[in-house]
Amino acid sequence: MQGILIFLLILLVMGSVACVMFRSKVKAAISLALISVILSIIMFALGQFWAAIFELSVCAGLVTVVFVCAVSLTRPDRHNQEVEEAYHKKVSGLPVFMVILGIGLMIILTMGNFDFSVTVDAAAQVRTFNDVFWNTRQADIIGQIIIILAGAFAVVILFKEGDKA
Amino acid sequence: MNSLTTAFFIAAAMILFAGCYMLVRSHNMIRLVIAVEVVMKAVTLVLVFAGYSNGNTALSQSFIITIIVAEVVVAVVATGIAIAVYRNNGDLDLRKLNKLNG
Amino acid sequence: MSASLATLVYAFIGLPLIAIVLLNLPNRKFAEKLCIGTGLFVCIVQMATAVIAVLLLIEFNKASMSFSQFWDMHVADDAAYFSVDFLSAVCLFCIGMVGAVSFAAAGSTVRDKILNYTNMMMVLLLGMNGIALVTDLFSVYVFLEISGIASFLLIALYRDPVGLEGAFKYLVMSAIASAFILLGSGLLFLEFGSLRFVVLEEMLQAGVYNNPPLVWLALFFLVAGFAIKSGNMPFHGWLPDAQTGAPSPVSIMLSGIVEQMSGTYATMRLIDIFLLNKFTVVNIGMMLLALLSIVLGAIAAVGQTDFKRTLAYSSISQIGYIVLGISCGTVLGYVGAVLHFFNHSTFKSTLFANAAAVKNQLHSTHYDDLGGLQKQMPIAAATSVIAGLSTAGLPPFAGFWSKLLIIIAVWQTQGAFVASVALLASIFTLAYFLRIQHKVFFGPEKQRPAVKEPKDGIAIASIALSVVTIGFGILFPVLLLALQTQGVL
Repeated sequence: MQGILIFLLILLVMGSVACVMFRSKVKAAISLALISVILSIIMFALGQFWAAIFELSVCAGLVTVVFVCAVSLTRPDRHNQEVEEAYHKKVSGLPVFMVILGIGLMIILTMGNFDFSVTVDAAAQVRTFNDVFWNTRQADIIGQIIIILAGAFAVVILFKEGDKA
Repeated sequence: MNSLTTAFFIAAAMILFAGCYMLVRSHNMIRLVIAVEVVMKAVTLVLVFAGYSNGNTALSQSFIITIIVAEVVVAVVATGIAIAVYRNNGDLDLRKLNKLNG
Repeated sequence: MSASLATLVYAFIGLPLIAIVLLNLPNRKFAEKLCIGTGLFVCIVQMATAVIAVLLLIEFNKASMSFSQFWDMHVADDAAYFSVDFLSAVCLFCIGMVGAVSFAAAGSTVRDKILNYTNMMMVLLLGMNGIALVTDLFSVYVFLEISGIASFLLIALYRDPVGLEGAFKYLVMSAIASAFILLGSGLLFLEFGSLRFVVLEEMLQAGVYNNPPLVWLALFFLVAGFAIKSGNMPFHGWLPDAQTGAPSPVSIMLSGIVEQMSGTYATMRLIDIFLLNKFTVVNIGMMLLALLSIVLGAIAAVGQTDFKRTLAYSSISQIGYIVLGISCGTVLGYVGAVLHFFNHSTFKSTLFANAAAVKNQLHSTHYDDLGGLQKQMPIAAATSVIAGLSTAGLPPFAGFWSKLLIIIAVWQTQGAFVASVALLASIFTLAYFLRIQHKVFFGPEKQRPAVKEPKDGIAIASIALSVVTIGFGILFPVLLLALQTQGVL
């Protein structure tokens, strides 16, 4: 179990490096979707099924569609090849930095004698998601409704044709 | 110290760094929005792990679902603004906008 | 009687939601006529409700009044609920006040987009009311996102290049800030298994935590996130752009209240939770951020060439004073910060309302196009003198008293040097204010078609706010005495 999780985490980090390094924006968006898929597998493995389903359908699905649409609606201009090449050259140092950061953190965390043990809340463990979400997070649910409302208005304000000066 | 905890912390920090690096290095609006999403993935990973390790999975799932909803709407608004900018001046480079410097 | 009055607090969340639904039901032409009226109604009811809430709190002799049951599944004792206390009541009053000014200014400035404007303003009000009311760190994030999204859309309302650029910069910075805040919250959640203010406060003050490094890291991310949100100096890049790019009524909102609610108010709550006397390093860090904002913001404001941009830098500087007051960690500094919060809402919305009036007449806020407007626009000129003197902290205006309290509190805790730096920065405040007056209202008259000051909502709002500034300044000693007899100071 632990081995699988660590393998998934390594995949996740590699996915994020790929997302940054890709020349093409469509590929970056797709590797973002890949990150979401791996994240949702991690959620499944840790027993967080509702979150996993949402992550898989909304983040890996909907957000990718939004990004791919945006990329295809904004057709690149003539100099695009050069621009993307320049960008790739700019971020080419990333893998080195990532390796340094990873090793550094590993040294600090193992040498530093940290004890990140947290108290496990036994009473909370048995509570179901439905109970917690619908009963104790009412403020957040109202917030979600308002956010979705705002999203609907966003589409009206940003995409509605015809009344632009 | 638990090796799984270490692995999660390091992974979250590395993804966070990758996202911030992309944010600093890129000037393309859509790439900036993707970078923001990468940063949010690191944060989500921290929350997933937090719920798992303190046994409060129900609460962490409630958090994550709300975050996902907010994230999607922010992504839609951001890409919408980027598309509107593209329609105005045919480019997505933030440096070429600079109408506000002064 | 009082118990049924207490249900009024649901209006803070319910009323804007009902307004959105009602405005979008009838056909568009009809709804557009109702927009300004509805908006003013909602804001004024909110101000009245905030006052009633304060009276109820005093009558019940309670520190806070919570309300949570929107639907009755079964009562959970660890619910994330809404709650009104004195601090949030002051903030809710300010939100209502600045919202009303914005709607008054929108009557003559936002014409064809009025329905979209009103819808987004309602969402913005909901977001900020939520920030003021919630009792859970995660809910703070949710409502921060709501007010953020509403602000981006309001800035980009006309889809003009300037507005879109400002909105996008704000969006990216705000997304980073939200991610930091959420990361901090996540680390606290890992440590404590809950994010309710009550639980966090209890555990932190009792010192019941296993991993101090986690708490420190969480605190670092939270403070950084809120500093970006309130536009403190090293993280201020987005703010002047967003302010300048926004339509006039929206910049009233942004500068008058949004920055303060999403950054400063949340920092005040954080202080409540963390009781920063135990975290001295954070106090000092916040103090440095505040001093940097105060001094550099004021100096940058002197060099600007645009009315709105000057005011935006002035906001950075003034919000620095609020953060400075908070960073003292004493009651005196806290009270000073809350009062300066209120004062900043009044005088900054007066100044931005005047900028809106000027822009409405001349279609520009650049100093090259302005000058000598005093004869044509006497109301705007007079009210901005009052607001400017209050900003600079001259007696007897309201700004003097709140700055005085903050500087005394700083003197007591951080020593004379910091206090005198904060005091000297006021000279720069006076300098940029005089520059505004000179370039916009006084000075030689430019060649241009004659302008006339319309007797519209902006003029009424400016006069009302100036009355508040002067009245508050005169009544302030009375308020201080009342606070002292209550034992607060």
